[in-house]
Amino acid sequence: MKKSGRKVSGITRNATGESSLGRKMLKNWELYLFVTPAVLYFLIFHYGPMYGIQIAFKNFTPVKGITGSPWVGFDHFLRFFDSYYFWDLLWNTLSLSFYELAIGFPLPIILALAFNEIRNGAFKKTVQTVTYAPHFISMVVMAGMIITFLSPSSGMIVRMIEFFGIEAPAFLTDPRWFKTVYVLSGVWQSTGWGTIIYLAALAGVDPQLHEAAIMDGASRFKRVLNINLPTIIPTITILLILNMGNILGVGYEKVLLLQNPLNMESSDVISTFVYRSGLVSAQYSFSTAVGLFNSIVNALLLITVNKVAKRTSETSLW
Amino acid sequence: MQGSKKGWVLLLLTAMVVTLLSGCGGSGNTQKNGASGNAETNVVSKDGFPIVEEPITLTMMAPDVGLQNWNEMPVLQDMEKLTNIKFVFNNAPKDSFETKKNLVFASGEYPDVFYAAGLTPAEQMNYGEQGILIPLEDLIENYAPNFKKVLEENPDVRKSITAPDGHIYSLPVIEFNQPWYRNPMWYNGDFLEKLNMGKLPETTEELYTYLKRVKEEDPNGNGKADEIPLSSASTPSLRDIRTWLLGAFGIYEEEIYVDDQDVVHYTPMEEGYKEYLVFLNRLWAEDLLDHESFSQTAEQKKAKAQNNQVGLFSEWNAYMTLGGEPSTDDPMFAPIVSDMVDKPAIAKNKGVTTGAFAISVSNPAPEASMRWVDYLYSYEGAMVFNKGPEGVLWEYTDKENRVKKNLDPPNGMDPGEYRATLTPNYGIPAPTISFDDIFKGLKTDFEVWVDSESKTKLLDRGARIPFPTLFLTPEQQAEVTTLTSDLTTYVRQMEAKFVTGAEPMSNWDNYVATVKKMGGDRMQQIYQEAYDQWKSN
Amino acid sequence: MVTTIKESKSDRLFLVLNYVYLLLALIVVLYPLIYIISASVSSPKFVSSGEMWLFPKGLTFDGYKLVFDNPKIWIGYRNTIFYTLIGTMLNLVVTLPAAYALSRSDFVGRGLIMGMFLVTMFFSGGLIPTYLMVKNLGLINSIGALILPVSASVWNIIVARTFFHSTIPKELQEAAHVDGATNMRLFIRIVLPLSSPIIAVMALFYGVSHWNSYFPALIYLNDEMKYPLQMVLRQILVLQEMSAETTGAAISGDIAESMANKAEIASLVKYAVIIVSTLPVVAVYPFLQRYFVQGVMIGSVKG
Repeated sequence: MKKSGRKVSGITRNATGESSLGRKMLKNWELYLFVTPAVLYFLIFHYGPMYGIQIAFKNFTPVKGITGSPWVGFDHFLRFFDSYYFWDLLWNTLSLSFYELAIGFPLPIILALAFNEIRNGAFKKTVQTVTYAPHFISMVVMAGMIITFLSPSSGMIVRMIEFFGIEAPAFLTDPRWFKTVYVLSGVWQSTGWGTIIYLAALAGVDPQLHEAAIMDGASRFKRVLNINLPTIIPTITILLILNMGNILGVGYEKVLLLQNPLNMESSDVISTFVYRSGLVSAQYSFSTAVGLFNSIVNALLLITVNKVAKRTSETSLW
Repeated sequence: MQGSKKGWVLLLLTAMVVTLLSGCGGSGNTQKNGASGNAETNVVSKDGFPIVEEPITLTMMAPDVGLQNWNEMPVLQDMEKLTNIKFVFNNAPKDSFETKKNLVFASGEYPDVFYAAGLTPAEQMNYGEQGILIPLEDLIENYAPNFKKVLEENPDVRKSITAPDGHIYSLPVIEFNQPWYRNPMWYNGDFLEKLNMGKLPETTEELYTYLKRVKEEDPNGNGKADEIPLSSASTPSLRDIRTWLLGAFGIYEEEIYVDDQDVVHYTPMEEGYKEYLVFLNRLWAEDLLDHESFSQTAEQKKAKAQNNQVGLFSEWNAYMTLGGEPSTDDPMFAPIVSDMVDKPAIAKNKGVTTGAFAISVSNPAPEASMRWVDYLYSYEGAMVFNKGPEGVLWEYTDKENRVKKNLDPPNGMDPGEYRATLTPNYGIPAPTISFDDIFKGLKTDFEVWVDSESKTKLLDRGARIPFPTLFLTPEQQAEVTTLTSDLTTYVRQMEAKFVTGAEPMSNWDNYVATVKKMGGDRMQQIYQEAYDQWKSN
Repeated sequence: MVTTIKESKSDRLFLVLNYVYLLLALIVVLYPLIYIISASVSSPKFVSSGEMWLFPKGLTFDGYKLVFDNPKIWIGYRNTIFYTLIGTMLNLVVTLPAAYALSRSDFVGRGLIMGMFLVTMFFSGGLIPTYLMVKNLGLINSIGALILPVSASVWNIIVARTFFHSTIPKELQEAAHVDGATNMRLFIRIVLPLSSPIIAVMALFYGVSHWNSYFPALIYLNDEMKYPLQMVLRQILVLQEMSAETTGAAISGDIAESMANKAEIASLVKYAVIIVSTLPVVAVYPFLQRYFVQGVMIGSVKG
């Protein structure tokens, strides 16, 4: 049975038609078993509650429940679009995200490639562990440190800049500096963590390729560029696509902690706006509507980028 | 074949783990149903204890500061013995209480009572109208002799806790002893002395002059001009000093207040607010207001103060920022006046915070619950919930006149913290009333001094409540909710810009126009209507 | 011969530059970490005033004392370790087979299933329906509520799928089938042993998310004895950072005083909490690193 099955798949590779498709499915019946737990999980815990999305179009009150609350159509969306700050919010969110992507995305790749070039030893272990550690620092402490380091009167970084006789900018209150502070501190915190995934992918590099390249007299740098990098390109592509799918998803916690009325014009993003609206009173419908707007924009971006990736490389999400 | 068998075992194991895990959950929710059975036939006595003959069990939801398990608090244990009512606590940590409260309301499975829940007027009204919270008027009438007496003595309290539909859905925190609307501001006494200030500044000009002298005359004597005359650190920014300075320009509150002619004002559009901005801008421009006021943390401000750099700041008591022991050398800021007004506007604490206690529709014994909470509005109940059981941290020296003395906590613990292991009322808006008598004999000399500062500088000079505690109708509430978010953002942002000079004062008219466009006028109208309604009741 | 020497010279330069780069990264990242450690044992006054900038100043262990004096800490540690182990195991059992199946180009319907997973990345019913689902399954106040709703993450499935797709050679699968191996056998006997890097990564990603998680505990757990470490630590912090303000709660002098005393060492506790909660996960990492170097094996199999 097994043997014949394999033969069939070999023969019918180019053929179409129900019977071969059916046989193909039958042959790989175990693969369906493999995905069953995951499918069940997504059905129960994600598709099950998904009816909750409708409250974006309703005036949700707890006692009437999700299905019983009255419909209001696009009211919540319009309220969001009509907000005095809508365009600012959109711009800030997008620019912050792209800024973060531009700086924060390539760095872990470079660092992972650099790690891969040195022998396993105490130094490698140390650097890897140290760069990984900041990932675990909570946002509150992170923001606290940023504020302390950048304090105009006593901050370490400010003093260092002034040591060189340069007047330090008002990092914390100048709207022009907010995004840089946000992105660079993020880089500090997550670059090491970001290398992990690439290190795993680099483990898949075929040593024979290196041996062959050395024979051909390729330099280390060339080999990194022509062997290591191409090996992790699929991972890079996938992560880039996934990142594009989260462009409007700038979280509120860190932004909120670094926000003040003076830098507000560049620091207010969609998520902090929703957070503030919720402070006045819990507005489930409104925040769901804004969330839905984000999701749709994100999904559209992801689909577009995936399409581009599909056309230009072999890797894509589907 | 071997492999596939292993795979099956793996999957089977997963399935087992899953069922096992889901199995554990069932037990938690059953307790309540058992309790409700006997409550029906149980007689609730209208006075005296126990409240019920047969012990009953109810569920309570409250915010928890995490110092002590509520089951182990002596005050609550004593209460159970006294009343025969046992509570099962369904608490959530204080910082996340809001989230959990919302989920509980949304899930349809309510605790029997909400304690210190901080239910907003909107919540009380929504959940009241929806029938989740039951109306309490009749229960108060029949089962709450102490609270009823409070209402009779203070008709305004009844007005403040009654929703527009005429029902009372929650009991309040009543605090008539604490006059502060915000934490007061305090002068650094050292600086006053060094600069030979015979009296405290009384006008904006005098304050300006004093702050200027602090800046320039090196009162901390270290030879450096590192003094920070006025410092602020709060979220949202300036909140800690704003109210006190606004008073100099005749404004009682930062957002909504009513003047002596019953006219409601929306502060950010007022002429007095403009003058306040001009004044602060002047302080900022001459470096008299800490330039880190918008970005620093409270700890940073404190570190400066402990370095003896700060001249005027806001805090509960001065020593908490300056460091050291409680001291009567650092006087409270006395409200000042500008040319605009004859007397300063001084805000006084509303004294009533609604939403502290509510009974849900699923409560099998609302009468008994009401009697239980009513005890907290009696002198005896308020006493133990405030200070813990007699004989632990306090004892009577003269029981007749309710005079007490403090006892030391064991192991040299902090009394406040130790107290929090005795009673739940630590930093949460618990239903209670504060009587003068509670503190008889318990106040330290310092506390007596602080009280007298409050009396002479605030109360005797006409401090009053800026705007009464009142309810908006659901429609008004919805409109305010929609307006507030953007409006407040804009106002605070512009305040910062005007103060720091990023926006010149000449743009004031544009600013007012924008505020109006964003609904500043509407805010004023809505609150005026609500106030008129409240007044006419 | 000549070329080799020349090459190795540039190689050496490359290596040196590489080391310099890593050394720089090390210093930049290390400084704030040292700062945190120092801050956790320095007098808060010096920390907020900026006087403590590298080494501890005004040495004090009050922060750690306060954290470890709390009896709930140890229960929290125990709970967290338990939740993390069970949760991560469940994650791996759900994620790896699914990711492998989806990586197979001869798996009919993978596009559909992938699509079904991807949709959940963007559209979620929100907190309330999820809460109701967990409640209806009878999971409230149980470990199930903490781990079942996060059995898998689409992101991780995709990453694992990409790994399988790009590192497990197709020839391997075909060869196995020729030998008559079932997919199950192929997966467990051949694919998994070759995939230790991705298994390590997945275990780390999932494990860390369980370790850091507090929100599910916050909304689903009622019993303090079941609180994970992060919840206990949050409680300590919140208590520490309560400040005496006039709004809301009725506060009397002694409460205000005790709050002020607490706030005094709040920042100390904040840093101590980071160390206490992070040390175990950081300590685990060096042990996981050896799984990232597995290239040799795949190569040999392929050959």
